[in-house]
Amino acid sequence: MTATTKTSHKYSAKSILESFGIGIALLLLIVFFSVTTEHFLSSNNITNILSQVTINLILAIGMTFVILIGGIDLSVGSVMAFAAVVAGKAISMEGFGPAELITVAIIAGLAAGFVCGLLNGVISAYWALPSFIVTLGMLNIARGAALHITDARTIYSFPYAFEEFGSLLFYGIPVVFLVALALVFIAWVVLTRTVFGRILYAIGNNEEAVRLAGHRVFRYKVAAYTICGLTAGIAAIVYMARLNISSPIAGIGFELNAIAGVIIGGTSLSGGRGSIIGTLLGVFIIGVLANGLILLGLSDFMRQMITGVVIIVAVILDHYRAKYAS
Amino acid sequence: MKIQHTIKYIALGVALGFGTAQADDKPVVGLIMKSLANEFFQNMLEGAEAHAEERGDYELKAVGMQNETDFESQINAVENFITQGVDAIVVAPADSRAMVRPLKKAAAAGITVINFDVALDADAKKQQDFELAFVGPDNRGGAKMAGDALAKALGEGGKVVIVEGNPGADNATERRLGFEDSIAEYKLELLDSRTAHWETEEANSVFSTMLTAHPEIQGVMAANDSMAVGVVKALEAAGRDDILVVGFDNINAVGPMIADGRMLATVDQFGTAMAANAIDQALEVVAGGAPLEGWVKTPIELVTQ
Repeated sequence: MTATTKTSHKYSAKSILESFGIGIALLLLIVFFSVTTEHFLSSNNITNILSQVTINLILAIGMTFVILIGGIDLSVGSVMAFAAVVAGKAISMEGFGPAELITVAIIAGLAAGFVCGLLNGVISAYWALPSFIVTLGMLNIARGAALHITDARTIYSFPYAFEEFGSLLFYGIPVVFLVALALVFIAWVVLTRTVFGRILYAIGNNEEAVRLAGHRVFRYKVAAYTICGLTAGIAAIVYMARLNISSPIAGIGFELNAIAGVIIGGTSLSGGRGSIIGTLLGVFIIGVLANGLILLGLSDFMRQMITGVVIIVAVILDHYRAKYAS
Repeated sequence: MKIQHTIKYIALGVALGFGTAQADDKPVVGLIMKSLANEFFQNMLEGAEAHAEERGDYELKAVGMQNETDFESQINAVENFITQGVDAIVVAPADSRAMVRPLKKAAAAGITVINFDVALDADAKKQQDFELAFVGPDNRGGAKMAGDALAKALGEGGKVVIVEGNPGADNATERRLGFEDSIAEYKLELLDSRTAHWETEEANSVFSTMLTAHPEIQGVMAANDSMAVGVVKALEAAGRDDILVVGFDNINAVGPMIADGRMLATVDQFGTAMAANAIDQALEVVAGGAPLEGWVKTPIELVTQ
């Protein structure tokens, strides 16, 4: 136990240094776009970037937990769509006041995400299956369920207060982004200041050792996937509030953006190394690139190529980090 | 994806097997559509099923795909229908080149083939020496109707942007060309044109950024309504009510937006009736009517307040 705690302390300190490098990369990008484009640093554009990264950030927070234990969750985009249509169905029930509807919808959406995550965790941990396959299955189940529930139709027309919430600004900062930031803070506390968090890192480093130390690895793994499902549920609520629709085809490919954010943020795909602050910065690098390259007037195809290059460079850097760490 | 395919083939096999056992002397029409995950095709399927029940003089076998580009399972569906000896195949091709060869094979097997929704590629048809008429809407003409509505509202010199569909998709290209036709005819100024892959959230992000880069935008042409919804939300978030938006498809969600003026117009291509119309045409040919030629245009209509 003491051994594991020590190791994760070391990694936590190290990961702050690692995040520092990513922070510099982000800063360079920001400086570059501020110089080359006219509007990048305008307050409007900053508001835009913050609301554009919000959903990916929320998904990436949950994804960080799963990747830290050496897993992967391919289902988050579909689970988000499923949670959104469940919440959409709840919010368009008749005979209730707006406050009740919003409450029920939020609970229903979060519960839908929670259950999908729980299933991912229980199935992959109990039978020790590759999470890649289990969550690929869940990707199909959740998407199919979302389409089935809605007959492939988009749900729209929500209570006014709910629609308002999605575009509410607090001194120019989207409130939904503040929600995401609060989640980052909670995740940071959980991962760096609790025994639970340290054990997650330890599982990513050496699952067998954690098991031998007498911990119920199964429970921790299930918890990581459940957190990831829950964040997909939260992302669904934010999606609905921002766009005022629940679409069963929402979120296709979002899992890949979330994974990219986590990886660019320096979390190792093999688990045990990384940080939530890195994820925050990684998500911002993707968001700033997408925004800045449009402002520069670069074509969509170039934009996609550059994002791809950034992902690969991040993984190469991670390779060297892993080498120096050992 | 493999698992998905396997399940689908089993389902298809069971469906087809069942169908054959039931067949009587009514003509059998095989309907092959694109993604049933798209509201548009879901409506189309319901329209066709209602139509089959109403007419009652033919048997309908409908097959849908998992996604818009799943042409591999469309090819398999065509081959299965050939094996079964259906009387007609009515198909909305997922890929306008890849589907030419299997459909030629079907036609050679004596099956009446009707191509609707998206036209097969003219060059590919010529290359394979295969003649086939097309029953469907004029996407380019439809987009031009929406574009013209916007252009008339803005007047000459109006500054516009286009939000495009999937790059390379035939209807995305046609709609963009239609928008560009309006821009040329009414001398509008095109500030930017970008894809948002038909998707609401992406359209919202991409358009907010376009608006930052070009605050002087006066009008937006979105290649489908899902993206138009994302654009409208971006405008609300930016507090801009001076920018006009047109879309395409007339999905349910844009009804209220057109009613209260957040959207100027959209285009209805009557998806519900489209498959049913194509089936009517197929049955006429099966019953001994003259084969179709060229492009049989189906109705499109501009929807405004």
